[in-house]
Amino acid sequence: MKHLRREQALTAVTRERFVLTRTVIVALLAGVALLALFGPADAAAAERPWQRLPAASALLDGAQPTVTGLTLELPLVSDDGAAVALTVAADRPVDVIHLFATRNPAPEIAVFRFLDAQVHPRVATRVRLNESQQVIALARTADGHWLATSREIRITVSGCLARADAPGADAEMTPRVRAPSRLGRGETAELLAMITHPMETGLREAADGTRVTRRLVSRFELSLADTPLFKAELYAAVSANPFLRLQWAPTTPGELQLRWVEDGGREALDRSDITLR
Amino acid sequence: MTRTPIDRRQALRWLGGAGAASLLAACGGRAPEASAGTGNTASRGARVVVIGGGFGGATAARYLKRLDPGLHVTLLEPAERFYTCPFTNLYLGGLREFESLGHDYQQLRRLGVNVVHALAEDVDPVGHSVTLAGGERLPYDRLILSPGIDIRWDALEGYDRAAAELAPHAWKAGAQTHRLKRQLEAMEDGGTFVLVAPANPFRCPPGPYERVSQIAHYFKTHKPRSKILLLDAKDAFSKQGLFMDGWRELYGDMIEWVGLSGDGRVVRVDADRLEVETEFGTLHRADVLNVVPPQRAGFIAERAGVTDASGWVPVNPRDFSSAQVEDVYVIGDATEAAPMPKSGFCANAQGKVVAFAAAASLAGDPAPEPVWANTCYSVIGPDYGITVAGVYRVIDGQIAEVPGSGGVSPRGADAGFRRREARYAAAWYQAICEDTWGTVV
Repeated sequence: MKHLRREQALTAVTRERFVLTRTVIVALLAGVALLALFGPADAAAAERPWQRLPAASALLDGAQPTVTGLTLELPLVSDDGAAVALTVAADRPVDVIHLFATRNPAPEIAVFRFLDAQVHPRVATRVRLNESQQVIALARTADGHWLATSREIRITVSGCLARADAPGADAEMTPRVRAPSRLGRGETAELLAMITHPMETGLREAADGTRVTRRLVSRFELSLADTPLFKAELYAAVSANPFLRLQWAPTTPGELQLRWVEDGGREALDRSDITLR
Repeated sequence: MTRTPIDRRQALRWLGGAGAASLLAACGGRAPEASAGTGNTASRGARVVVIGGGFGGATAARYLKRLDPGLHVTLLEPAERFYTCPFTNLYLGGLREFESLGHDYQQLRRLGVNVVHALAEDVDPVGHSVTLAGGERLPYDRLILSPGIDIRWDALEGYDRAAAELAPHAWKAGAQTHRLKRQLEAMEDGGTFVLVAPANPFRCPPGPYERVSQIAHYFKTHKPRSKILLLDAKDAFSKQGLFMDGWRELYGDMIEWVGLSGDGRVVRVDADRLEVETEFGTLHRADVLNVVPPQRAGFIAERAGVTDASGWVPVNPRDFSSAQVEDVYVIGDATEAAPMPKSGFCANAQGKVVAFAAAASLAGDPAPEPVWANTCYSVIGPDYGITVAGVYRVIDGQIAEVPGSGGVSPRGADAGFRRREARYAAAWYQAICEDTWGTVV
């Protein structure tokens, strides 16, 4: 947003004082970008959102992350902060990815742990964003190096998009999975997982004014042939009915197990067989 | 003080909307403290080109010419008769003749707007000119784009132009609307109508839900054993509780809605088989398949360089000038104006704000402080209407709904209340069309 405002301000200035072609404006904007790149190193570092957010800077513990190699896909503007599509991906193997929302009541969104190379470091999910803010992703490689990226997103809640009451609790903890049952060895495929759950934040009031108790699906685990492949820790910023889309390339056949665990201990399990050609 | 071509009272009367003034006075876009300085001779003879003759563009052209008859206002619109998207659902439901949704440009011409029925093919924002499909170039001092939406043909697997011949979108009024109507009429009693609804943002947020309501009305009166399945890429939609109450009251269990978390998001369309596949691999077969696909700003916006990576147009909230290109204003469904929805009413309100802003800019004055309003009526059955309304201002530099303004129809209102809202909907349509095109339905 800061960057956008800067562009707008610049355009406004040029409009008042000069008659400029678009080329000149583009050149000026490029100049601003260059200044940002080559400005004083301390000033640039102080600007980084992961340095400003205590939860993120505590993880980094003074490490200087690489700002390339990790990408975060989010819409520029979302009409519905209750379910914003988010994809995070690293261009190299990583052990873990942490996601943060800088202006949510609690910054943690999720932690994704990649336990085996059969699961690629690319995860799509749906998140809750309370207001316009920066979303941060941090990833750590096996040798302890950090990657970081952030994205600004504007959240509006349209008057035409008023939410209805939450559906009943009868079908809670019902998993839905899409995985190809048969594929080539090492062939990359998608694995989709969703479970019905309200993901109660503990911040919401019921109709009678009482606070609804916090209740989350806080863990998700994926294994194939008894080998753990992937784990996720989910926080209140993950949308109701937690959704995960993974990319994987299984190398061994066997039973695929997906397990969801509610913070109270309730579990759901989905099992299927994977055969490889 | 120079004499202005219109006085403030007159301007307010126009802005309040001719016709059903009480309705529009409460809801129309207006600039109450406007002193657009339209008498300034600097603006005399200035050229304003408006692209798109829908709710946004026709309103902008009409109000510009009324604000300052000395302006040269050219409106580019390929269609000689413009058919509105609002109320096409009522045509599908059998409550309205298609011709009653058509509007011509006689009244705009009478005001002195130069209406040219041609397609704008390109914009040169540096040279300040628009190129028409025939190659002719039109110079402008200010350009107003009201380009509406285009379908993103690459965004949903299997849904391209050829597929839309078999499984219409009917999200632009015209041939597509007729195609869907014919398919519904040809369908046998006991068939299944499937509507695929997109993720936000898209044109007319309550539109898919009004559409299934109207088709349910048609089925109830002609093909009562038929079913409706609405597959949605969202878990929540506009006026959801009110729609669902209305569906139950009028149509029992005819309409089934499946949201995102129920695996309602369609990821592939097979138009030949009238079949769709959802995210988690469920196949649904339809007898009539209506796909409302992902959308973006009309193509001329991209040609003008005003769109961003999302395919929509970022604007400066105060005057709807492009955030990217000078001397270009953009209004209507093409813009990122949320929380204002992509509605005809908003386009009309934005058209007025832009008319004032462009006139002020040509006179060297700052744009007046804008206020916008919106009402979305949805007609669930012949005697059953519901609404959502909102008032919007620039707050902290961004468009925001004025706290405490607007709201939705009450849940559990009686039949008389719903009947009156259905009548207000018809009155709204008449009033806004008169305000936009000067046409009396």
